[in-house]
Amino acid sequence: MKKQYACLVDSERCIGCFTCAMACRNYYHQEEGVVWREVYPLDEEIYPHRERAFFSLSCNHCEDPACLNVCPVQAYTKREKDGVVVHDQEKCIGCGNCIRSCPYGAPRYNPVEKRAEKCSLCHERLDADLQPACTQACPTGALSLVDLAAMEQTSQVQYPAGYPKMTQLNPSTRFILPKVPKMVRR
Amino acid sequence: MQSIEFPLVLFTVLSQAAIGIALMGAVRVAAGPDGGDAKRQWRMVAGLMVLGLIGSLFHLGHPLDAPDALKHLSTAWLSREVLFAGLFVGLAILAALIADKNGSAILSGAGALLGLAVILSTGMTYAPPAFPAVNNALPTVFFLVSAVTLGAGFASWFAGPGRQPLLARIFTSALIVGLVVNLVAPCVWLSGGEVMRMTGLAWFGSSLYWAHIAVMAASLAVIWKTRTIPMWLPILVLFGELVGRAGFFADTIHTAANMGGLY
Ligand code: SF4
Ligand code: SF4
Repeated sequence: MKKQYACLVDSERCIGCFTCAMACRNYYHQEEGVVWREVYPLDEEIYPHRERAFFSLSCNHCEDPACLNVCPVQAYTKREKDGVVVHDQEKCIGCGNCIRSCPYGAPRYNPVEKRAEKCSLCHERLDADLQPACTQACPTGALSLVDLAAMEQTSQVQYPAGYPKMTQLNPSTRFILPKVPKMVRR
Repeated sequence: MQSIEFPLVLFTVLSQAAIGIALMGAVRVAAGPDGGDAKRQWRMVAGLMVLGLIGSLFHLGHPLDAPDALKHLSTAWLSREVLFAGLFVGLAILAALIADKNGSAILSGAGALLGLAVILSTGMTYAPPAFPAVNNALPTVFFLVSAVTLGAGFASWFAGPGRQPLLARIFTSALIVGLVVNLVAPCVWLSGGEVMRMTGLAWFGSSLYWAHIAVMAASLAVIWKTRTIPMWLPILVLFGELVGRAGFFADTIHTAANMGGLY
């Protein structure tokens, strides 16, 4: 397998503090309402405990990206060297086709630029041997950058409940599921 | 798809009306001269298509860069749609200039083929994985049925008396198919995965959806009574298709709407 950078989302460690989402915002200063990374609470039907569990999600840098395939102006490229899917806003004509097509809701419309935009996994930082802003900021180590080609396969899952299963796209994000909390009865 | 997307509603419905008229033109030419006026009919096809294309530009953040949309023909159905729509409007303008009253088999055949290619590429563009309810052949079917209904309706304005019964039969059949498909699809979605089910419920709870159904049912009742297509009926059907298309865009649910929930 070729090198494929991905986010490993450890839901057992995530405390839903939104630091990752805030770090992204601090770094890129997106327009109001434009969000590249979101922290989604799991529904009670999936995780029915007083303690909550979360998925911190952004673009999944899919193996066969819907955004790239549907973009009529070829604004998207998948980098050979690390599999990161990069959006070139200069080329975008703001047709919204990628926004409609990505099942993970990663590309968003920037109403000021009138073009789409999304997380490109801080590829300039990766090129400078730095961590993406989100994984660097996570205080609990719940969000980390991994290379799927080198990662040891243990308990990670690709399609947990609460996340759309899109085998054709083959999203690169991996998850560690939250454990059932210990009940202490008095 | 969460918002009414007015420019897309205009483009898809007007272009499908134009393509439908071109399809009926091909049917009429194949059936022999009928005393109708093919030149005026091509003018209407070209006019509707130009209007639709102008409408579609309002959907782009950067309309002046629209020609760039031809750059990804290898995988993007939207690029193919732009190509085929461009060829179709070019042919319609040419035909409006050079065709005579009886029409030409070559122009009508080419128009019908290019029109079908536009419908297929539009259908595929609006069938992305993010909308499980329509991530299939349904958009193409919806669009083809709209094209045939509108096409038969408007073509009756230009056909001679000998062809009116044929057009009325096509119009009636397309209305019945449209009604059935539009009623059955959301019922099927109710037994699908969560986002499909949400889409079925959203369609059934939508006044846009029911207005479209009501217009189709009323048009069917009218044609049942009159047996030929009254002049005003295609206008009513056009209104119904515009409203129904607004519902298609506004009420079809995106997978991202349920993130963190069961799928
Ligand atoms: S998650 Fe969406 S935006 Fe990101 S690569 Fe996959 S299809 Fe493209
Ligand atoms: S909005 Fe921009 S990036 Fe997205 S499909 Fe359209 S042109 Fe491509």
